[in-house]
Amino acid sequence: MATTSAAGGASFSRRDGTAPWRHVDVTLLAGVAAIAALGVLMVYSASRNLGTDEGYFLRRQAVFCLIGLGVMALAATVDYRVARDFAPVIYVASVAGLVLVLSPLGSNRRGAQAWFQLGGFQLQPSEPAKIGLIICIAAYASHHRGDLNGRRMIGALALAAVPMLLIELQPDLGTMLVFAAILLATLLVAGARPRHMALLGLAGAVAVVAVFQLGLLKDYQKDRLGAFLNPTENTQKSSYNLNQSKIAIANGSLTGRGLFKGTQTKLSYVPEQHTDFIFTVVGEELGLAGSGLLLALFALVVWRTWRAAALAKDLCGTVICIGVLAMLVFQIFENVGMTMGIMPITGIPLPFMSYGGSATIAAFAAVGLVLNVHMRRFS
Amino acid sequence: MSSDNTRLRLSIVGVVVVSLFAALFARLWYLQVMDTGTFQALATQNRVRTVYEAPPRGRIFDRQGRPLVENRGYQAVTVTRFDIKDTPEVVTRLAALLGLPRPELEKRIADPRYSPYKPVPVAEDVAEDVVAYLREHSADFPGVEATAVAERTYPHGSLAAHVLGYVGEINNEELDARKGGDYRPGDDIGKSGVERTFDLDLRGKPGTTRLEVDASGRVLLPALSSSPPVQGDDVQLTIDLDVQALAEDSLAKGLEAARASHDRNTGKAFVAPAGSVVVLDPRDGSLLALASNPSYNPADFVNGIRPDVFAGLQDPANHCPLCNRAIQGQYAPGSTFKLFTAVAALRTGLIAPNTTFVDEGSYRIRNCRGEKCVYRNAGGRSYGRVNLPQALTVSSDAFFYNIGANLWFGGGPNRNAIQGAARDFGLGTRSGLDLGGEMRGRVPDPESRKKAHEDFPDKFPYGDWRAGDNVNLAIGQGDTAVTPLQLANAYAAFANGGSVLKPRVAARVLRPDGRPEREMAPESTSKVVLDPGHRSAILQGLRSSIARPEGTGAGAFAGFPLDSFPVAGKTGTAQVVGTQDTAVFVAFAPADAPQYVVAVVMEESGFGGAVAAPVARRILDGLAGHPPAPVQLAAGVD
Repeated sequence: MATTSAAGGASFSRRDGTAPWRHVDVTLLAGVAAIAALGVLMVYSASRNLGTDEGYFLRRQAVFCLIGLGVMALAATVDYRVARDFAPVIYVASVAGLVLVLSPLGSNRRGAQAWFQLGGFQLQPSEPAKIGLIICIAAYASHHRGDLNGRRMIGALALAAVPMLLIELQPDLGTMLVFAAILLATLLVAGARPRHMALLGLAGAVAVVAVFQLGLLKDYQKDRLGAFLNPTENTQKSSYNLNQSKIAIANGSLTGRGLFKGTQTKLSYVPEQHTDFIFTVVGEELGLAGSGLLLALFALVVWRTWRAAALAKDLCGTVICIGVLAMLVFQIFENVGMTMGIMPITGIPLPFMSYGGSATIAAFAAVGLVLNVHMRRFS
Repeated sequence: MSSDNTRLRLSIVGVVVVSLFAALFARLWYLQVMDTGTFQALATQNRVRTVYEAPPRGRIFDRQGRPLVENRGYQAVTVTRFDIKDTPEVVTRLAALLGLPRPELEKRIADPRYSPYKPVPVAEDVAEDVVAYLREHSADFPGVEATAVAERTYPHGSLAAHVLGYVGEINNEELDARKGGDYRPGDDIGKSGVERTFDLDLRGKPGTTRLEVDASGRVLLPALSSSPPVQGDDVQLTIDLDVQALAEDSLAKGLEAARASHDRNTGKAFVAPAGSVVVLDPRDGSLLALASNPSYNPADFVNGIRPDVFAGLQDPANHCPLCNRAIQGQYAPGSTFKLFTAVAALRTGLIAPNTTFVDEGSYRIRNCRGEKCVYRNAGGRSYGRVNLPQALTVSSDAFFYNIGANLWFGGGPNRNAIQGAARDFGLGTRSGLDLGGEMRGRVPDPESRKKAHEDFPDKFPYGDWRAGDNVNLAIGQGDTAVTPLQLANAYAAFANGGSVLKPRVAARVLRPDGRPEREMAPESTSKVVLDPGHRSAILQGLRSSIARPEGTGAGAFAGFPLDSFPVAGKTGTAQVVGTQDTAVFVAFAPADAPQYVVAVVMEESGFGGAVAAPVARRILDGLAGHPPAPVQLAAGVD
């Protein structure tokens, strides 16, 4: 790779073709911005009939996005290799957050000990911990130069196991599965041996069977799974949720009912619509045109992330991008899939769309890392 | 960073990502394009509630257009218990508005006749300003509504209750039977009488309002669409208010008089618990009056009947006031049956109109072995040599015993000629009256006897039909049973020259504006061929039984101007094992051109000529335009 800039003397000269700011992925940026803007609008549509202040959720989500943009800029600016070097600190901080949230400092909402209450905001430490895990696996892989033998493989698994276990203690199965997806994808790309990946896959399958056979699922999880497998069996709780969600999306048809005109949305028939079920607003009010466009925008973001992984200057950059990609793809597929009844219901937010500060800011931060890797592919 | 190994691994990731997105797109396509219709219907079902407003029911008029059932419209305030269960302050507010003490309002709200989800009327005839206030402040009164109510009223009280019938909330059985019809839970439906038969005409069309409702049940205004209720059609009856009132009054007075008299054989007072009267026009089958005593007040059923009132109507001690005895009571016709025996004897050629028989007061069946071979006249009197008209006049049992025995011993198809004649006149089958619940009656024959013996060997000790059975049948005893309506209708067929008509109480259905919607034409179900010579012989007997001093009905008609308004009739006294005699009388008038048939049946009241005939006489007085006199019991004959 040819470089003309003097090492350590990075200048912002116009002629300097390797200057990071000249390689910002504008397409990715535009895609994310478009999704986030649509998200704010959809949150407004879903929440304007909740409570007395119809603009409450709109304003907060807009603020979250603005903070997210700032965090993204920060995550893009500081060279990811600096972050790589601070990986142990990031790891300890992530784990500390997950431990503290289980203490009385954390608070419990809807059955999960997953939040810090900070004034009017709730911070969910498992969201930044996702970013933390991505950076740590990338650092670990690049430290071993992509040579992951059995012992190093176990090391990587152990690294991920600690935060995953802490999250399962909250309990938050959905977020834990996001960690698992990140782990699987990053290990694959970081150079794990094929037989180790096969073993890991087998172990995963055994774990799933064991969870069912040993009855480790909580009642609400069984209920959700039952609703997924037999949606017509009862219209209570999860089945109700799933049925109303499908009705909303299908009701949109090709062009949708029109903004603020979806009856399922307007009349609040879909529970948790501004958070986990935000996709149903798009489906009902904007139809196949809108929801297809949204999926296409997500595909664009994922493609640019994959491209950044392929173009990255080093293994660390590739692994970071693939970690972000795994996080985004798993959340998109699980969230959109559950609203349409092809995945079981879990409480995973749709990135940039679902109402919520921690998740939105973490998603922006993740994309910031991708921009970071992409713009430094020549330096 | 571009080792081939990493490229391959990135490709794997790429393939997985592409397939996952493809799956999402495919599913989205399926839901929003392929399956969208199903779900759009579900979305509509979700959000749209249809509210129904009951229409005013059609009215019921008498033959001359005088109202028998009307509606009273007023503003009512209703409270739905379910909607106020968490807001006791609404009750306080409403009590103040209506000017009621709170405990009184609570008592009305707790009315057990209403389900928790049904609006309970708590105030009637509410002033307009209160209604307006409630509508304007509906947010302060969740679960409270001011609605226009149309409620059944009966200007003549219990008059013609069994014809009119009553209205009540539809039950599950009725709902199931009308699946696919325009009936919904909570609807009113005619439970009996004309209200039931003509329910589809009377009920009208409910008003509908389609409302949009959110997930928590809040209604979004304005309504999506609404249509006003359509009032039901009116029904005009053939019943004449005056004749009906006269029939009911005469029957009640007759029963009262019977209760004041004594059975000569036992010395006990007659129980006379119940009776019925049928007045019909033999020319077209239209009923002028249909009375059944005891009766009930259909107004008791408005807004649901009180449990204690309903229990009273069901109590056996009250002799079933809800039963319409004129069509549901089944009685042995006694000597009134002799008309059919006479027709059978004449048309089989067994006797001629002037064939005589010596009535010695009793009749012995020839070649008889067995427990009962000798049959006596009622009262044991002997009438000497009599022909058919004379036998009908004095009601000679021996004359008809002889016919019964000879038809039986003659063998061949004539063995059952009496049953055949009775059936030709419509006995043993439902007349087809446009009121529900009619009974069939019974004309016994060898087959029915065999079956009765098999089913009830205690009551019917032998299964074959014997000469004695035919002898009993000839005078309307034994297992023979008719409803008062069947009896009246059979005599109507004789009176009009042989047409068995389908009796009816409804003349026409009218739209609310008075224009006719449907006309009920007279219908004839069958024709009895009556030889004019035979008919005039029988008619002579029936007229003489009223007009001749020795006639069994003569006592009741003492002083009646038979010259200007000739009456033909037949008395009957049916013996019922274990109870007192049933008094029966049936007559038609004017005898030469009949316009009226009157049948009277009174349970446990004594002789037909003594008790039932005076009731009919009083009714005929009215029909002939005479002022009705008190019912006076006549001398006690059959």
